[in-house]
Amino acid sequence: MTLAPGALAARAHPFTPLVVTAAIAVAALAVPGPGPALALYALTLVLVVTTGTGQAALRALVPLAPLWFFLFLLHGVLGEGGRVTVEGISLSRDGLALATTQAARLGAIATASLAMYAGFSPSRFVDAVAEREWSFSVAYLVVATLLALPRFRARAAVILEAQRSRGLRLRGSPLSRIRALGPITFPLLLGALAEVDERGFALETRCAAGSARRTALAPPLDTTADRLVRWLAAGAGMAAVAWRVVG
Amino acid sequence: MNARLLALLPAAIAINLVIGGLVNALGLPLYLDSIGTILAAVLAGPAVGMLAGGIGQVLFGLINGYQWIPFGLVQLLIAALAGLAASRAGFRLPSSSLAWGLLTGLLAGALSSVLSYVLFKGVTATGTTAVVTLLRQVGWSLPVAVTASSLLLDLVDKSAAFLLVGALVRALPLRMMGRFPRAARAVGR
Repeated sequence: MTLAPGALAARAHPFTPLVVTAAIAVAALAVPGPGPALALYALTLVLVVTTGTGQAALRALVPLAPLWFFLFLLHGVLGEGGRVTVEGISLSRDGLALATTQAARLGAIATASLAMYAGFSPSRFVDAVAEREWSFSVAYLVVATLLALPRFRARAAVILEAQRSRGLRLRGSPLSRIRALGPITFPLLLGALAEVDERGFALETRCAAGSARRTALAPPLDTTADRLVRWLAAGAGMAAVAWRVVG
Repeated sequence: MNARLLALLPAAIAINLVIGGLVNALGLPLYLDSIGTILAAVLAGPAVGMLAGGIGQVLFGLINGYQWIPFGLVQLLIAALAGLAASRAGFRLPSSSLAWGLLTGLLAGALSSVLSYVLFKGVTATGTTAVVTLLRQVGWSLPVAVTASSLLLDLVDKSAAFLLVGALVRALPLRMMGRFPRAARAVGR
């Protein structure tokens, strides 16, 4: 997803969206009942729209739609307890409340995390970690994996096409499909191991595993507003947990 | 952490996140989203497998929604069992890989069912939830339906994952085996 250059999510310090998303996830799991859960989902939608990552709300609907459907079916239709009739369909009153709460919780969590991913810049994250003198290995792992994903996806697609063109049948009986597992997974796995070998040498020659302090090339600006937002988000997350424990 | 492990971990995590798409093309009820974790544990020990599984699950949550992060606990369990299997030459034969896969599937399925029921009220991945819905429709209670579907799918999934990793490690070239001595022990060499 491409963000507008001036979008709040693109300008914020890399740690700010991380903390806000974590706080939303904690609050979502802590808030009781459908009302507060729906309010949190609505607040999350407002947040992602105002920070310029509104498209994430739409993208989140892709994984959310089947989950919402099954929540409605499993708890609303097949749930136990008192019944209520809506449009001629008999539904469980408690099940509907549970399904709504859970759907809103998942909606808030998925939307917030996809919005954070949309605004995530690997290079700014590495610079922010280097500036704080935190572990380079952890930052490298996060960034190297995120950069490896599109490469591996492209390789997987090529393998699938290549095996198909060699006559591998991907449909048919379960046994023939199980037999096809090896030919489509082994090339990806062996290719990945060969890459590990080459990359290991490259990292060794650059002393990537050393503990020397690294200089951040362009450390992202950590403004007072960023710090304030992080503290507020952390406080709100803890308040939601306290509300759940006390209430 | 040495350079080779720094190179292995992103590859193992990417395998976890990407291989599901390949398997989807076959239309089998498998996820195989722990192959990278098992491979890392076999090649470099359970701690590395746990790192691959844990970080992989966090990244999966980042891309697909944080709700999946608690299932990182299942990845940690799988890494521990794969490491144990490797230290006892559990990948020497297809039958021993299958046995360790079944044991892992049993324990991972039990843990997944608890997470799925407590945190998500039984609604998680679409395939598992479809089985839960089916079982609920024939009159099973929600906790029993969630446990049964998690166990069933994890037994199949982890057995397949252990069989595939076993076959791969047994076929590794000697040069590669030399770089990861634990792999040689895993296949009883």
